[in-house]
Amino acid sequence: MKKLAIGCGVLVVLGIAALIVIGVAGGSYNHLVKLSQGINSQWAQVQNVYQRRADLVPNLVATVSGAANFEKSTLTEITAARASVGQIKLDPNNAPTDQAKLAEFDHAQGALSSALSRLLVVSERYPDLKAGASFRDLQAQLEGTENRIAVERGRFNDAVQAYNTAVKSFPAVFYAGLFGFKEKPYFAATPGADKPPQVQFDFNQK
Amino acid sequence: MFCLTALAVETIPPAPAHYFNDYAGVVSAATAAQLNQRLEQFERDSSCQIVVAIYPRMQSDSAIEDYTVRVAQAWKVGQQDKKNGAVLFVFTQDRKLFIQTGYGLEGALPDAICKRIIAEEITPGFKAGNFDAGLTAGVNAMLAAAKGEYKGTGQTVARNHHHQSGLPVVFVVVFVVIFILIVLSNLRRGGYYSRSGWSGSGWGGGWSSGGGGGFSSGGGSSGGGFSGGGGSFGGGGAGGSW
Repeated sequence: MKKLAIGCGVLVVLGIAALIVIGVAGGSYNHLVKLSQGINSQWAQVQNVYQRRADLVPNLVATVSGAANFEKSTLTEITAARASVGQIKLDPNNAPTDQAKLAEFDHAQGALSSALSRLLVVSERYPDLKAGASFRDLQAQLEGTENRIAVERGRFNDAVQAYNTAVKSFPAVFYAGLFGFKEKPYFAATPGADKPPQVQFDFNQK
Repeated sequence: MFCLTALAVETIPPAPAHYFNDYAGVVSAATAAQLNQRLEQFERDSSCQIVVAIYPRMQSDSAIEDYTVRVAQAWKVGQQDKKNGAVLFVFTQDRKLFIQTGYGLEGALPDAICKRIIAEEITPGFKAGNFDAGLTAGVNAMLAAAKGEYKGTGQTVARNHHHQSGLPVVFVVVFVVIFILIVLSNLRRGGYYSRSGWSGSGWGGGWSSGGGGGFSSGGGSSGGGFSGGGGSFGGGGAGGSW
């Protein structure tokens, strides 16, 4: 009789312990799901702002090429960079899981960034172009878009960092791999690559 | 190490208490009060929160567009669901300014329009040393551009907060009053109360009339200040210098 009571007591304790473990693991699993979805929605924002910039390029090229004998090589460079950006197709709804793919995307976007900043530098030599309202509006849009890109990239990296930390922390570290929660890549902070091109519009004040 | 020191230098100022905030002391009191009143009315009419913040200088080593988006985001200007906030930052000693637009106002205040407002409305006044004129013209232009984009509720976030925070205070007061009355009635009865004394002496009536009256009068006397509604910013807008 007494043995039975002790046995029951042990079972109850074990049951409670099991419930606690399941509760904690379940809570941290849900937390990982939430973080992972946060990355995906932030990735969509990143894609958005890059797309916004890509959409500006045709307008910019049209406006600039209207200027009398504008340097052709700069325009060719822009068009090529825009085309190579368009060729890299990443799922807009799911953040990349492959570091190499993200690096490739980043590289192509970086090439477009530097081509655009060169175009703006070259355009300084064309006062008629600079004085035009449409070019000034495009300049403002381009500056704003570069700023948006910097903001959304930064927030994407923050989201990935929070997720990666959670994946590597207790208790998720024991089962994260089992459920397919792998560390995710973020934008490399290589010098210059994570910064918007420094577009200096006032630099011809000589 | 560099990164750490750069972070240490940056200060995100606390959320401002008003819609128009001149921490640099460059605007006349009359203009500041008038613009503040118009911006507050604009939130009632449109639910959009447009805030002006003038500081002597930037408290950061970052670029102005980078710093001000963090500040605007921290202040949560704009309604949470509509994200319809905008902040005009002016740093008088740096001679720089920036309009940060929340996600929900990027349509009404696109970057090119912000750039024009800065170049054509604000900086001409600033260049002449007339901050009153530049800011009045700038606020006018921003309100004109943002007008009609959203519908207002006739309320401001600051006022709604007041309602919510006013409620518990009223209850506490009512509880204290009831408690005192109970104690007084017990004293009269000679030291302690019975269950029937508690429920049967009609405190229920005192509760409901006291609660109702206190609540409505508390709500009626509030208003004035600014309080962020939970908006967020994605780096839209434009800047300039003078």
